[in-house]
Amino acid sequence: MRAYLAFTKKEFTENWRTYKLPILLVVFLLFGMMSPLLAKLTPELLKSLSDTGGVVITLPEPTAMDAWAQFFKNVGQMGMLAIIIVFSGLMATEFSKGTLVNMLTKGMKRHTVVLSKLTAATVIWTVSFLLCLAVSYAYTAYFWDMGTLHYAFLSFFSLWLFGEFLISLLIFGGILFKSLMGSLLFCGGVIVAMTILNIIPNITRYNPSSLSGATLELLNGQKGLSEFMPAFVICAVLIIVFSAASITLFNKKQI
Amino acid sequence: MDILSISNLSKSFGQTRVIDGISFSVPEHAVFGFIGANGAGKTTTMKMILGLLKADGGEVAVCGEKVTFGATKTNRHIGYLPDVPEFYNYMRPKEYLRLCGEITGLPHTSINNRCDELLELVGLAGVRKKIGGFSRGMKQRLGVAQALLNEPKLLICDEPTSALDPVGRKEILDILRQISRKTTVIFSTHILSDVERICNQAAVLNKGKIALAGTLADLKARHKADSLHIEFVSAADKARFISVYGLSAEQSETGITLRGGDIEGIEAKALQILAQNDILPIRLEVAESTIESLFLEVVQ
Repeated sequence: MRAYLAFTKKEFTENWRTYKLPILLVVFLLFGMMSPLLAKLTPELLKSLSDTGGVVITLPEPTAMDAWAQFFKNVGQMGMLAIIIVFSGLMATEFSKGTLVNMLTKGMKRHTVVLSKLTAATVIWTVSFLLCLAVSYAYTAYFWDMGTLHYAFLSFFSLWLFGEFLISLLIFGGILFKSLMGSLLFCGGVIVAMTILNIIPNITRYNPSSLSGATLELLNGQKGLSEFMPAFVICAVLIIVFSAASITLFNKKQI
Repeated sequence: MDILSISNLSKSFGQTRVIDGISFSVPEHAVFGFIGANGAGKTTTMKMILGLLKADGGEVAVCGEKVTFGATKTNRHIGYLPDVPEFYNYMRPKEYLRLCGEITGLPHTSINNRCDELLELVGLAGVRKKIGGFSRGMKQRLGVAQALLNEPKLLICDEPTSALDPVGRKEILDILRQISRKTTVIFSTHILSDVERICNQAAVLNKGKIALAGTLADLKARHKADSLHIEFVSAADKARFISVYGLSAEQSETGITLRGGDIEGIEAKALQILAQNDILPIRLEVAESTIESLFLEVVQ
């Protein structure tokens, strides 16, 4: 337990001093501010264009839901990319630099390494996500009447869960290939595979990738809870499976 | 009691058999030199002792406990200094040692003192800069400090001096000698003078097998190959000497090397001949067998 706490603390120090944590916080703060602002300003921008050019563009007045659409788009795409870039070296750099040797020969259990990394990444991702959500919520509430948000908690939680899924993929890929490139390619490969799977009709219900792309439809009430539940459960199960597999695989790795 | 015993250990990487059924043991309080050429399998052996690599066969026991791959229980007896120790570059030396202390389970109250003590020992007390800015020698010294943190019964150093300048090398050897009073030390090297300087036991690893093992004195005695070297003023003097002495030993242009078990006898005879024939050599030297000559003998 003490080793776990010490190593987790080391993870936070590392993420802070190598600027990963500050970068993520700033990036997600920006996303949080950008989403409602973009929704608010896009029609204004277009209007000013049409004023000068004489072209008349009529756009419906933006609503809170447009702001959330921006939010899901930004966090679900760029945000996930930021997660992948920042956490791709989570396991891989420890292997490639050989820094784990000293830790493991001090008697630290191998699963402690995986659990500490998972904990630190989860906390950092959660804080970044909540910051982004809070800022976005505040701006949206300021500009518009919030209206009805269907399954608000579950919608946002799904997006968070998908981020967590990516983290578990990055850790697993990092242990499997012991390199940054391996970690990135593994995670990218799984995402591509999930996207391709979406071609098959009706598979979106079960595909975790819908948690990052389509949960807006849950929030605005276009789709019901049952449309997402399978993907949600599968995603949660996959996170547990990949984390457990990471530990098992790491125990067998030669260092 | 043997701190470390290895029996019949073997390991292959793909088709290459790197370690081929080696057995040896290291008694308590020894300074054990593990000698081998580059790529002989020294690091592989050490990593198997630490449970970082999986052995194909054989057993390793540390302080009587069997080492199992992947588990790190026996590592609590061991301090390990890798050949190129890698640290977290963004940390300061004391922070790093504190982390190591927490991980290895030192009591809270003693971590601070122990860190200061060790930084003092390796000459890094008062260094405040981050490890990223350390030189190779400083990293090696910090490596020694982290290896000694848990007061290990066995300290394993993988080529601790190989990449250092003469000053750095001397410092590391001095530290190793200093701690050998409390701890058993195994260190691998291909620098033979280091072995002669601080080791009292040694084993030579060659082509995956232990070619030689024992105490240093023993090894030298067993392979006694003392020699007498005489350097003459001219080749003519040398020829005169040989004509009387009557054998053609190893020769250079103006020098000869006489070998044999009874080196005193040879020396007495040579001096007698030199005196009787008025031959005055430039140099007359009795050379004891060195680890180097042993090593070359074994490896070739």
